[in-house]
Amino acid sequence: MAKASMRERYTELTRGLAWEPTYVSHEQLYPHTRFEGIKIHDWDAWEDPFRLTVDAYAKYQSEKDKRLYAVVDSFAQGQGHLNATDARYFNSLRLFLQGVTPLEYAAHRHFAYLARHLDGPGPRFASLCQSIDELRHNQTETHAISMYNKYYDGLHNPNLMHDRVWYLSVPKSFFDDGISAGPFEFMTAISFSFEYFLTNLLFVPFMSGASFNGDLSTMSFGFSAQSDESRHMTLGLECIKFILEQDEDNVPIMQDWIDKWFWRGYRLLGLVACMQDYFLPKKVMSWKEAFELYLEQQMLEGLFPDLDYYGIRPPRHVEQAIAEKEYVSHQVFWVLYQFSHAASFTTTIPHDEEMDWMARQYPDTFNRYYRPMYLKARAMQQAGKRFFNGGLPMLCQVCQIPMGFTEIGKPALQAQRFSIHQGERYNTCSDGCQWIFEREPEKYRQAWLPVHQIYQGNCGGPTLPEVMEWYGLQPGDSGEYLDSQDAKNWELWHQPEGVS
Amino acid sequence: MTIRALGAYDFPAKDRQELFGDDQLVNVFWEGNTFIVGPGCFRVPRSMTWADFRSQVMDPWASADPDYQPDKAVDFRNDDEAMNPKPKQTIEQLGIPHKGLIKFRLA
Repeated sequence: MAKASMRERYTELTRGLAWEPTYVSHEQLYPHTRFEGIKIHDWDAWEDPFRLTVDAYAKYQSEKDKRLYAVVDSFAQGQGHLNATDARYFNSLRLFLQGVTPLEYAAHRHFAYLARHLDGPGPRFASLCQSIDELRHNQTETHAISMYNKYYDGLHNPNLMHDRVWYLSVPKSFFDDGISAGPFEFMTAISFSFEYFLTNLLFVPFMSGASFNGDLSTMSFGFSAQSDESRHMTLGLECIKFILEQDEDNVPIMQDWIDKWFWRGYRLLGLVACMQDYFLPKKVMSWKEAFELYLEQQMLEGLFPDLDYYGIRPPRHVEQAIAEKEYVSHQVFWVLYQFSHAASFTTTIPHDEEMDWMARQYPDTFNRYYRPMYLKARAMQQAGKRFFNGGLPMLCQVCQIPMGFTEIGKPALQAQRFSIHQGERYNTCSDGCQWIFEREPEKYRQAWLPVHQIYQGNCGGPTLPEVMEWYGLQPGDSGEYLDSQDAKNWELWHQPEGVS
Repeated sequence: MTIRALGAYDFPAKDRQELFGDDQLVNVFWEGNTFIVGPGCFRVPRSMTWADFRSQVMDPWASADPDYQPDKAVDFRNDDEAMNPKPKQTIEQLGIPHKGLIKFRLA
C-alpha cells in the first residue's frame, strides 16, 4: 500500500476517527453548543487551519523544547541574569509570571473542554492541539523564568498570587469571564479577540522587551511559542469566519461579543502598556507606537475592512481606546506606583532620560500631566517620605482596575459610572465597562473585588501585614525599587570586583 | 438584556450590603487631583458622623498628598447631587448609599 500523504493521514486520523452517535442524539452528546443562540448547520464546513496529526505535532514540539531548554540551561550556567539592563527589568517578568503564565494554564483547561464539547471533529482536534500548546507554554514560561527566582524577589509563588493579589484579579477575572461563558463566546473572546486581535500588543512588548533587555531565556521562550501563536491566530480567525458563514443570525451575536471582548482585552492590556513604557529599562517602542501599528494599522485598517463583508463593524468604544493611547500607560503606572507597597513588584520614578523619552513619545500629555507629578513624588522621596496611597482604591466592577482612568480627552478628570441592579449599586470605570456590566449584570454582580473582600475580612485579616501574608508576599517583594534588596544586590553584583 | 445560560442563573453579589452588617462601603473622590490616582474606598459604620468621617477617614487619606488642606475641602456632592453636610449628620442621614461616591474639590 502506498504511503499516505500528510493530508490523507490528517483526514484519516482526525475526521476519519469521528463517528455518528447512535445510542444518544447529537444534542445529548454535545449539550453546550446551542444555548448561546449560535446556529451551526454544517460542522464539516470547518476549514482546518493547520493539518497536524498527533505524531507530527509531538515531533515538532519536542524539537522546539530541546532547543529552548538548551538555551535556558546555557544562559543559567553562564549567569546570564547579570547581563540584564537593570534589575528593574525583572518587575516585568514578575508581572508576566503572575499575570500571564497562569492564564496559559487556564487556557489549557478550557481548550480541553472545547476539544470534548464542540460538535465537529475538525474544531475539536484544533482545540486539542491548542490545549496542549497552552500547557506547554505554562511549563516553558515557568522554566524560562524560574532561574531568576534564585536571585530576585517576587517570583516565588505566581499561582497563589494570581488567585489572591489585587492587581492579578484583573487578568484572572478576565479569563474567568471567558471560561464561564459558552463555547462560542469563549472562542470569540480568547481565540479571536485575545489571540488574534490583541495578541501582538501582548506578546511583542514582553518578548521584544526580553530581547532588548538582555533576557535571553524569556526571549527564547517567545521564539519557541511563536509558531504556536501563529497557529492560534489562524484558528481565531477561522473560528469567527466559520461561525459568521454558518447563519446570518449569528452576526449580531458575534458583533456583541467582539464589542465586549475588545474592551475587556483592551482594559487588561493597560497593564502591558504600563510594563512597556515603565518596567523596561531599555525601551522597545512606546505603547502609543505599538497601539498605532498593531491595533490601528493592522486590525482597524487591515482586518475590519475584510470583516465588513460579513456585516461586522469595528468594536464599540474603540474610539476611547484610540484617545487613551496618549495617556493610558501613565495612568496605569501611577496606580501601580502608589499601591506598590501592597504588590509583588517594585516601582520607582523614571529617571530624567526616561522622562525625556516619554515627553518625545507623548508630546501632548507627558510634560503637562505626568512629569509634574513625578517630580513632586521624587521630591517627597528625597525628603524621606516616599509617596504611597493612604487607602484602598475604588475598583471597577468589570475590569477590576482601580478607578484612575479619565473621561475621553480629559486626562485630568477621572471617570466614574454606576448602575443599579436589583437595588444594589455597582461602580464602573468607563462607558465600555458600564456597557459590559449592563449587558449581564447577573454575571458581574458576583465579581470578587479584592478591596471589598479585604473589607469583609476574607483576605487573611483586616490589616495590611495580614493581607500581605495571605498574598504570600515576603519583605522585599513590594514598594520602592531603590530601597529593594534587588536594587542592592544588583549594585553589589556589578561592582568591579565581581560577585561577592 | 438577560444572561444566556445553561440553567437557572441567580447568584448574589459578593459585596452586598447585608455582608457588612451595620457598616457600609463609601468611596471618596478628590476631584481635580490626579496625584492620588482615583477615589478611595472605605468601610465605615452607617452611624458614623460626618465630623468623624472627615477626621478619621477622609482627611488622613487625602493627606497622602502634601498639598491637601482639610479646611479648603469644599463642594461636597453625593455623586453629582450637592450636599451640605453638618458635623453631626451620619453617613446614613446624608443618604450615602452602600458603595456610593462622595465627591469634593479644594477651594
